[in-house]
Amino acid sequence: MTTRAAIAGLGMTEMGKVYGRSATDLAVDAISRAAADAGLSLADVDGLYVNPGIKNDTDLRLQSTLGMRNTRVLATIQGFGSSAGQMVQMAAMAVEAGMAEVVACVYADAPLTEGKRAGAAYPGQARAMTGVGSLPFAAGLKAAPERYAVATRRHMHAYGTTSEQLGAVAVAARQWAQLNPAAQMRDPMTLEDHQSSRMIADPLRLLDCCLVSNGAVAVIVTSAERAATLAQPPVHVWGWGQGHPGYVNRRDSEFGLVTGAAQSGPAALAMAGVGIDEIDVRELYDCFTFTTLVTLEDYGFCAKGEGGEFVASGAIAPGGSHPTNTGGGELSSFYMWGMTPLSEAVIQARGQGGDRQVPQHDLVMVSGNGGVLDFHSTLILSPHPKAT
Amino acid sequence: MTPTLIDAPASLAPVVRDDFSAPFFEASAEGRLLLRFSPTSGAWSEPAARFCSVSQAADLEWREASGTGRLVTWTVKPGRATEDRPAVPTVIGIVELDEGPWLSLLLPRADPDDLAVDAPVRVAWARPEGSEVLPVAVLA
Repeated sequence: MTTRAAIAGLGMTEMGKVYGRSATDLAVDAISRAAADAGLSLADVDGLYVNPGIKNDTDLRLQSTLGMRNTRVLATIQGFGSSAGQMVQMAAMAVEAGMAEVVACVYADAPLTEGKRAGAAYPGQARAMTGVGSLPFAAGLKAAPERYAVATRRHMHAYGTTSEQLGAVAVAARQWAQLNPAAQMRDPMTLEDHQSSRMIADPLRLLDCCLVSNGAVAVIVTSAERAATLAQPPVHVWGWGQGHPGYVNRRDSEFGLVTGAAQSGPAALAMAGVGIDEIDVRELYDCFTFTTLVTLEDYGFCAKGEGGEFVASGAIAPGGSHPTNTGGGELSSFYMWGMTPLSEAVIQARGQGGDRQVPQHDLVMVSGNGGVLDFHSTLILSPHPKAT
Repeated sequence: MTPTLIDAPASLAPVVRDDFSAPFFEASAEGRLLLRFSPTSGAWSEPAARFCSVSQAADLEWREASGTGRLVTWTVKPGRATEDRPAVPTVIGIVELDEGPWLSLLLPRADPDDLAVDAPVRVAWARPEGSEVLPVAVLA
């Protein structure tokens, strides 16, 4: 019988303005919580994938910090925002191949410093300005907001996408966050609040941008058979994909128009053996409002170019036809790279979402997006075992 | 020949050369824009390209480009006011050169209200303190 993988544990530390704890300490905390959540001990863990965030100050040596011995798979994974999905994919393949039985996947970062602005946590390109490759950075395309801003404007021009439509993404995320006791931002937000928020990098306003958080999230991946014996309802991994477009800087580039989601999403659906219309819940990487919008298009929840109208219709908000980012996402809940959508997907698939639980949650689609729409991963998760 | 330099805005960071970029900056000091060109594909690539951006051929060589193009997209960073001066907006655009490659360039003199997709631009030159001569863009 084919071994299939499932997510059996989820561990989340305190999020946000959590100071005085290193990324390594946060990672240890998240993994310990994930193992306990699954009903396992750290001694059961025989595989580890570590994704350090922007500060890059934890890595595979976390193994020895955790006291792990004779680990059977171990690596630092760096796919930026696509890392969480990539780690689960690697862990699932390791479990299915019999290389390891219980694999912990962790993201941990502590970019916020007490007393400093969140923007200072992600200053952008830090390398010395040497050579022609540094010309865009020298010109000022350094940090994520301005780099996503030029992508967003391209979409706006091509398809008529508006700032108000981007605002609908921010408002929907906040409405979900208000139902999530763990979300960092729970004050009501209106479209007017979005439109009057200060410009960060035109056309992106403050409320188009995600949060910056300190913290860590871990998941435990094991076989579906073992997961069925553990403490939590198993979350089965039905399918996955990746897509890395490799944009070239020249005429006819699809930068800003089509992302790696257009390759990764259909690949994941094909592996899962399901159609896009069967997806009940979407947990999408939302570093900016635009990222949600373009990912919805590229996955096929609406036609290319119609993402603006789709989100403005209320489809993705609580009570809408296409519940999306049900914990408030990176925009309003917390920013743990791809672990933000993945953790909420696990919660929704288990049916543990409380006030924000989506009643029908048989199939959950999870995205991870890194770079400036450069790197993409997808997972299809379900509370039901995949038919073999 | 020394090009006419426009005043380098404070937001333009200095860039120094390495072996690969030396021909580019030798030319920029004379007000000439070099791109990468593949004789086998006939296609032009951006200055940083190591392989042809159309065919992936490894035969790229430096070739002088027209220095004219059009605006593909842009952003305006509003800047922050200080006690001494009001906020100075920074305009950064992606320019599609007539030969095809894109360059991300500062538009130091552009009024944000004058920006439009497909607006014609040309490359100009500025030299921050301690830097090579760098390309910037002006609305044509």
